[in-house]
Amino acid sequence: MVQSLNRTLDMKMAEDSSIILLGEDIGKDGGVFRVTEGLQAKYGEERVLDTPLVELGIVGMAIGMSINGLKPIPEIQFQDFIFTAFDQIVNQMAKMRYRSGGTITVPLVLRTPYGGGIRGGLYHSQSGESYFVHTAGLKVVTPSNPYDAKGLLSSSLDSKDPVIFLEPKRLYRSGKMEVPDADIKVPLGKAKLLHEGDSVSIITYGSMVPTVMKTVTENSLDADVLDLRTLSPLDRDAIISSARKTGRVVIVHEAPRTLGMGAEISALISESSIEYLYAPILRVTGPDVPFPYRLEDLYLPNTSRILRAVNRVLEFR
Amino acid sequence: MSEEIIEHGEKERLIRGFGAMVLARTLDNKIMTAQRQGRVGFFTPTSGQEAAQIGLSMHLRKEDIIYQYYRDMPMMLHMGVPVDIIINQIYGNSSDIAKGRQMPSHLLARNYNFMSVPSPVATNLPLAVGTAYANRYLKKQGIVVASFGDGSSSTPDFHAAMNLAAVYNLPVIFFCENNGLAISLPTEKQTKVEIWKKAEAYGMPGILVNGSDMIDTYEKTREMVEYVREGKGPVLIEARCPRMGPHSTSDDPTKYLTDIVKEGSDRDPLVITQKRLIEMGIITEQVATKMREDSQNFITSRFDELEKVPPPSPETLFDDVYDEHTWIIDEERGDIIGRN
Repeated sequence: MVQSLNRTLDMKMAEDSSIILLGEDIGKDGGVFRVTEGLQAKYGEERVLDTPLVELGIVGMAIGMSINGLKPIPEIQFQDFIFTAFDQIVNQMAKMRYRSGGTITVPLVLRTPYGGGIRGGLYHSQSGESYFVHTAGLKVVTPSNPYDAKGLLSSSLDSKDPVIFLEPKRLYRSGKMEVPDADIKVPLGKAKLLHEGDSVSIITYGSMVPTVMKTVTENSLDADVLDLRTLSPLDRDAIISSARKTGRVVIVHEAPRTLGMGAEISALISESSIEYLYAPILRVTGPDVPFPYRLEDLYLPNTSRILRAVNRVLEFR
Repeated sequence: MSEEIIEHGEKERLIRGFGAMVLARTLDNKIMTAQRQGRVGFFTPTSGQEAAQIGLSMHLRKEDIIYQYYRDMPMMLHMGVPVDIIINQIYGNSSDIAKGRQMPSHLLARNYNFMSVPSPVATNLPLAVGTAYANRYLKKQGIVVASFGDGSSSTPDFHAAMNLAAVYNLPVIFFCENNGLAISLPTEKQTKVEIWKKAEAYGMPGILVNGSDMIDTYEKTREMVEYVREGKGPVLIEARCPRMGPHSTSDDPTKYLTDIVKEGSDRDPLVITQKRLIEMGIITEQVATKMREDSQNFITSRFDELEKVPPPSPETLFDDVYDEHTWIIDEERGDIIGRN
């Protein structure tokens, strides 16, 4: 995924001189995960800014650049560090179009790695997607493979609204696949059905996608697996049609359960399709505790927890 | 110095500046009265800060971009923003650019290069830096002004913006309108250092001007504006001026302020500036009186007229969240006001 993101950024920067990257250690160092490797050498310090260590400044500057005709791609080194910039995201970025009656807009793509799996402890592992999904005016996107990473990034750059582009860092260097050199688009707001089945719908995204797929293939589950890809706005039609088909739903994500995406998806299905359901909708999520260092593996949802939930909804009567 | 201004043929500029001060004061008083009458919901009065703002904006050009704060109505009027744009915003009516979504005082006029005002103070400052970066990168003409009050100097956004502007050597004027109070907190309890002196720590020039005197502010800020225009980097200007009223229509300043500058007193910036202009022979007492009367008539008629403009239509609640409505917003719109 790192390579795919890097090549996509490279291609887009070559096409469009208004694209500016800014963030901590993204230039000479190529970013702590190497997503921006080589781009400063190629496009210069004016287009790839190694910024001072100030997240709210990075985001605020990016908003100001966007207002004045640039297409900035700010990077927050770890999503865990985004909170000092939260005011800029929630009160400026997300509300600018609305509060200006549509006369000032902020198209930009804010990239940030999120989630666990790298022994990063409390402050290099959080999954904060709900904070952004809860905020009107933002689009929230998360790829689960190199192809989608390219296609979603490309579509995000076409968006006329700000996009929070969450990169599951655990998948940065896994899941090798062919990605075309040409530009590809994965539309925002569209989920992907990765596996088809009639007995249960497993709805997931980001870092949990490979874990869910492993559970399904190892246990030959007759399951729909839906990779949401965009968390805001959700692909309501894909969620509802799968839920109505199978009548049994499990939602899997790494973020804590309380007010996580699972809560929203569960409510959406209940409100629209309760009469199609044979079982309660279950969630398999990270627990409502801070993200741990040594006990990371216990925190992260795994195949056995997913399987247990699937069996519970299958056996429910 | 004053002689020089006249010799340079700047008489017109001074008269226009003073005219905008008078217009702003008239409008400010009108809005405060209307708020007390229940015709307007809220307001943060600007009286006392006219001279500081206009003293600076007399140097500005139409291509300059301004990230103003919620007390900069006088500067907007001076830069040619029509009174109607401001009054429509104050009413939050259907002619308001922001479609009645913001509280009064949160003005904007993109076509006049005035950006939108957020309530969380100083959060526009980093945006000003980014906008200045884009200006330089895209080789656009013009500089960027970011204005704020003394309270803003405590915020992380102020620090971030000052540092970034200096590091990237960007064309930004940081303009602190220090009226001595952040709602109720006096400046000496806000910071141990005079605000203009903070510039040095960031690596930019800083000056202090008498923001109660339009001519003084105009003369003292000239070099700073030129410095920024020449691409030498950002500057910090602190203009001291009185806050002649409450923070907003929602507070009672007598609880924390014993020495309020009264309108028409010899500390009123409008009086100070008028006196100097008369001394310089640029205007007469009669001209000033005429300006006040004309402003009064004009403002009253526009204010009454625009009060008739209807409120924003219900559907606008759901517009401009995104470029296109999401299904969620359509669904909620349907629930609340019915489907198309």
